[in-house]
Amino acid sequence: MAKALEGIRVIDFTVWFQGPVSAQHLADFGAEVIKVENPKGGDQGRGVRSMKALPMGDWNQYFLVINRNKKSIAIDLKKPEGQEILYRMVEKSDVFLSNLSPALLDKMNLSYEKLSQINPRLIYATNTGYGRFGDVTKPSFDMTVQALTGIMARLGEPGQPPIYLGMGSGDAYGGIMSALGIVMAIYQRNKTGRGQSLDASLYGSQLFLAAPHLQAYLAGNKDSALQQSRREVENPLWNIYPTNGKWIYLCEENTDERFAALCCALGEDLATQGHFGSTESRKENNIELITAIEALTLQKSDAELLSSFAANSIVSSPVNNLADVIKDEQAWQNNYFMKAYCEEVKREVDVRGLPVTLSKTPGEINTLGPQLGQDTELLMMDLLEYEWDEIEELKAVGAIP
Amino acid sequence: MSAALDDVIVLDLTDSYFAALSAAFLADFGAKVIRVERIAATNEGPEERAWNYEADLIHRNKQSVALDCSTERGRELLCEMVARSDVLVTDWLNADLAVLDLDYQSVSKSNPGLIFARISGFGPEGPDKDLPVIDELAAARTGMMPIIQQPGQPPVYTGAGKMHAAVMLGFGVVTALIHRQATGEGQEVDTSLFAANMYGASLDLQAFLAINEDDPQRDRLLNPISRLDVSNPISGSLYPSADGRWVTLTMPDTDRWWPLLAPAVGIDVDDERFDSHEKRCVTNRLALIEELEAGFQKHPGSHWRQLFSEQHMSADVIEQFDFPADDPQVKVNRYILELDHPSHGNIKTLGFPIYMSESPARLESLAPCVGQHTEKVLHELLGYPEDAIYQLTAEGIIA
Repeated sequence: MAKALEGIRVIDFTVWFQGPVSAQHLADFGAEVIKVENPKGGDQGRGVRSMKALPMGDWNQYFLVINRNKKSIAIDLKKPEGQEILYRMVEKSDVFLSNLSPALLDKMNLSYEKLSQINPRLIYATNTGYGRFGDVTKPSFDMTVQALTGIMARLGEPGQPPIYLGMGSGDAYGGIMSALGIVMAIYQRNKTGRGQSLDASLYGSQLFLAAPHLQAYLAGNKDSALQQSRREVENPLWNIYPTNGKWIYLCEENTDERFAALCCALGEDLATQGHFGSTESRKENNIELITAIEALTLQKSDAELLSSFAANSIVSSPVNNLADVIKDEQAWQNNYFMKAYCEEVKREVDVRGLPVTLSKTPGEINTLGPQLGQDTELLMMDLLEYEWDEIEELKAVGAIP
Repeated sequence: MSAALDDVIVLDLTDSYFAALSAAFLADFGAKVIRVERIAATNEGPEERAWNYEADLIHRNKQSVALDCSTERGRELLCEMVARSDVLVTDWLNADLAVLDLDYQSVSKSNPGLIFARISGFGPEGPDKDLPVIDELAAARTGMMPIIQQPGQPPVYTGAGKMHAAVMLGFGVVTALIHRQATGEGQEVDTSLFAANMYGASLDLQAFLAINEDDPQRDRLLNPISRLDVSNPISGSLYPSADGRWVTLTMPDTDRWWPLLAPAVGIDVDDERFDSHEKRCVTNRLALIEELEAGFQKHPGSHWRQLFSEQHMSADVIEQFDFPADDPQVKVNRYILELDHPSHGNIKTLGFPIYMSESPARLESLAPCVGQHTEKVLHELLGYPEDAIYQLTAEGIIA
């Protein structure tokens, strides 16, 4: 099959998660992504063997999945000879992507000014912590940046601690935001022949994770910054309810017709109990109605309740856990989960797949993440056209391993 | 300066916030986005006096055409518009699209170069492909709702998944546009709320895929972990400060940070209960959490922010929306814009998460009035003369 980003070469000078996952999106759709790594250990993400301090399986799942479909070249960029190799790559590439700080990139002689002189067609993308402008230079990790956006403080029941959206939640968002910026710049470059620099920061991206609520706050709705109880939601028909098993998410409009269907499914005519008879009254007596519905749902198992909901065409879902989702047929049939061969353990492993489906140029997973520097020699010869004796010299000075 | 997508015409057939926002992202970078509003479906009440801040975000930079799609003539006009567009963005159900002959099979015949982009609930294949496009349903299926809160607390819906979907669809559309630049070929693009929620949960999901089914550790991942039982007391942890504001720390390498952090929270750096990573994160982990819980409560949030900043620690205070609303860093990067609204005076609205040096996002207009551009679009895009437009208006086909 054709690949949408065939012929696009990306220098992936990234570490940890946001930068690598951004380049992963491009690699999945056929871009040639070359990871540039320090010969001494490479991307720090290679060392992440555990999560929540627990070992996670017998293969390096953190690094190998977000760096799939990529090549790796090991270069010591502290050496001038190493820099020259990178500059030669820049001549032959379309995109340079890094999530190192602009100050550090400057210090390494890898600023936009420098690289765009070498290749004016280059798209130079950064993933900063707090944006390309301003003077904030503090360290940026997913959770410490998420903390500033206000989204954590508004989640959970009132009085409970703030809630983190999950490991890597903000990095994943910054990563796709950056990928969107990059493809837009490629599209434009294909028309004008000119590259540019772009940035998608962790902070700027994560502000959009709570966009509806943040926008409401900016318009003067101060309550949208605060935690809200599930016992007080305005529409009791759009809410989570406990059963004697899993919780259920009920998603229905607050209309007489849908309420009648719900009552039917619950086996109790709540409408005739007086104060739930209209849209308005259900809104007004929401706390009471939520309590009444909960009293009924608690008497049933999630399977029982879901089947009577289904019989009455009530829109709802079980609140599943991770063990359920990894078996979810819908996820596998859409390639949201896939199988890929893992060199490290010499067998197929289960990996996160492709969240964006393109019908004629679908994404693919051909290889999991590369070994450190595995493509160095080949790229030096084929792409960068070094002679073998030059390569030997560069090895001798330690520019490449 | 030019705009990145200034040669792209996008037809916006969306109902939901997130799908409309996805089209707005394209409009921010120059795409000509024409939003189609169905006359029959909207029974508008009197004009609202309050600022429609939602519309001014998700429909900014767009044009609006109002059509009665329930009439044959209205439907034809819609099909004519699709035939002249480069991209169609929708969140409608397949069945609703098919009724108007707007399914991909039909529209690709008249416009093979069209990029047909849809946010679905659960993806283009599989038994649940026709489920409603509701983020809560997708989030509930993703496995994160039962684990991100404190133990004993109800599941939490974050609303973040649909925001992932908005950006993912934009990425898919522009990727497909690049393919079309090279080949002239259009195609279908789908991203689902389910996929988007899963992507937001990348690390937990991938770890869970990798872990062995009989590994006893699995249980710890399936249930909420109390903040007072966090695996590393100084990474991924939360503590209340003296003024009730919370602090959060991400310092996985405890050897590096302990000499700076310990004195700051009033612990002797040589306290032998905590003098190695192993002791801090395994042997005396719970005792350390207890000490930090007490230590952070000795000073208010502002004290901790200053300390974290001086020591360059990756730690911060957990803020509410007032913080980004007034943060100079947010302003200088145009993440939130301050502007003079024609009807509502000085306002703040979410800005642009992507910075581009040569083709920056720009705010050319706030949300259009319904039907504001109907005549213009019929004339310029479809080539209708004035009298034909007048006739269609008189017949109530357009407004």
